[in-house]
Amino acid sequence: MSAPLLEVSGARVTIGEATILKDASLTVDAGRLVAVVGPNGAGKSTLARAAAGLQPLTSGSVRWSGEDIGSLRGRRLARRRAFIPQRARVPGGLRVADAVAIGRSPHVGAFHRPTSADREAVARAIVRAGVGDLAQRQLTTLSGGELQRVQIAVALAQDAPALIADEPTSHLDLGAAASVARLLRGLADDGLAVVLVVHDLALAAAIADEVVVISHGRSVAGGPAAEVLERERLADVWRIDAQLETSPGRTALHVAWLGEPTTQMENR
Amino acid sequence: MAALEETPRAAAEMLDPHQIVARPPGADLRRALVLVTAAAALVAAVVASLTLGAVHVPLRDVVDALTGQAEDGPLKQIVLQLRLPRTIDAILVGAALGTAGAVLQGALGNPLASPDVIGVTGGAGFGAVLILLVFPGAIALLPIGALVCGSLAAALVFAISWWGPDAGSIGKLLLAGIAVGSFFFAATTSIMVIYSDRVQSAVFWIAGGLSSEGWQSTRAVWPYFVVGFIAAIALMRPLDRLALGDDVAASLGARPRLVRLTACATAAVLAAAAASLAGLLGFLGLVTPHLVRLAGGDSSHTFVIPASALCGAAILLAGDTLARVVAAPVELPVGPFMVALGVPLFLWLLRKTTV
Repeated sequence: MSAPLLEVSGARVTIGEATILKDASLTVDAGRLVAVVGPNGAGKSTLARAAAGLQPLTSGSVRWSGEDIGSLRGRRLARRRAFIPQRARVPGGLRVADAVAIGRSPHVGAFHRPTSADREAVARAIVRAGVGDLAQRQLTTLSGGELQRVQIAVALAQDAPALIADEPTSHLDLGAAASVARLLRGLADDGLAVVLVVHDLALAAAIADEVVVISHGRSVAGGPAAEVLERERLADVWRIDAQLETSPGRTALHVAWLGEPTTQMENR
Repeated sequence: MAALEETPRAAAEMLDPHQIVARPPGADLRRALVLVTAAAALVAAVVASLTLGAVHVPLRDVVDALTGQAEDGPLKQIVLQLRLPRTIDAILVGAALGTAGAVLQGALGNPLASPDVIGVTGGAGFGAVLILLVFPGAIALLPIGALVCGSLAAALVFAISWWGPDAGSIGKLLLAGIAVGSFFFAATTSIMVIYSDRVQSAVFWIAGGLSSEGWQSTRAVWPYFVVGFIAAIALMRPLDRLALGDDVAASLGARPRLVRLTACATAAVLAAAAASLAGLLGFLGLVTPHLVRLAGGDSSHTFVIPASALCGAAILLAGDTLARVVAAPVELPVGPFMVALGVPLFLWLLRKTTV
């Protein structure tokens, strides 16, 4: 059996005095969308950054197609995975098409000009992310949802087989979040491996093939959303009385918003 | 419901990829216009700088002197020993400050970035004042003193900002730069207080201006300009990758902090070399890249860096020639003179735009 596309095992990250990630594991294959969920400060984003090689590990390992991430640097790593930050910088004087062209840079030699194949890849990424009609607009004129889709286009121009998105929907309205969610699901259906760090459990349950729960720096559960996000786990990890309801194509999270966390624990 | 669904794959078949990616035709024209205008202004300024001054030298005599056909005499000497070195110095210094500003603003993602903020100006000022006031006998070491102290201040800023958690972050660099700069300015002021009877000789240098002292200083510092310009060219693509933030740059396989350090070191070398020839002309480094971006409507470094070099050279050379000619035979210091001309223009451009 060949190695999975991405395999993180026993990841531990210490920054300064604080151990942010204690023992987190994650496996993703091509065509799969894995949602990483957990409370604020649990270490989800640190896990995503470690998987992408943006955060060095204290111990544990990250392997891309069986190769240790330590042996993949620069362009070689850039061709394995693309990382989509929660909020990228939005500089003035840059069109959407120029920004997406920056995403192509791992394929363009240091002293070479982009070829017509590169330009086609950039155009493909723009169209696939559904921002074709924004291509000539300045980045500074876009809405949050549009910017996030442009970020995904930048990542797609990288032509890597895996995307790691760190809370791409966190600051978006419902419609914009759903649009980004549909796009990411579509990309997984196209054969990309997608890691999605997300707060919205209903959204995660609706689009993910698998959900990994991070709590206090550890991966405490992984599997299909309906099995993993059960009532007891929501109470344990998020300290809330809530229940996930799934029917084909729709999900809902029923939350006792005003319930006392301690009472919920006793009553469940 | 079908209308709600996006059909990007169907759309992909309808849209021509080249049409999506291509720049609008006006955009390329605008960039070209900025470069051509700057180049033409530079050529005009070179002609003016070589012909105009306390003594008018006809263009034909200038050409003869430059091509070695002129007979020995005062005109040939004025062109080759006074005006040509000053013209070359102005081009080098203007290009260096424009480039340093463009590189720094790109590296720090901050429109306020200029050689002041990484300590270079403070350090170079200290080095120059130290030689001028404390060791006036070693006046020949002035350019080297400014260069060494300017680079030393920048090195100190990098060392401090690279220390401890969050090493090499923009915030740390800027704070360290302001602190180190303040330290050197305080040291400079202290020397001026102690040697207040000699301050007169340092005033012109601090105000910023070129001198007609021949080739000696240029000969001492030209390699630093060459190294700085080559590094700036190599940094154009890496700086573009920083435009969308460190995380995107890292995703693209770049090392954002290494790029930022290299860019700051490049700007430090250029700014210190510029200060060694022309004193403190910080305003040019701050403003030129903004002018270029506003006029060209493009902030990619493959445009902004060369255009800032060209514009910086043209502006400084034109400003220096004007400062020599306006009240001839009295020479106005070009630093304040350029600020007086440049600030209204800059503010006028600024009011119509966002930075």
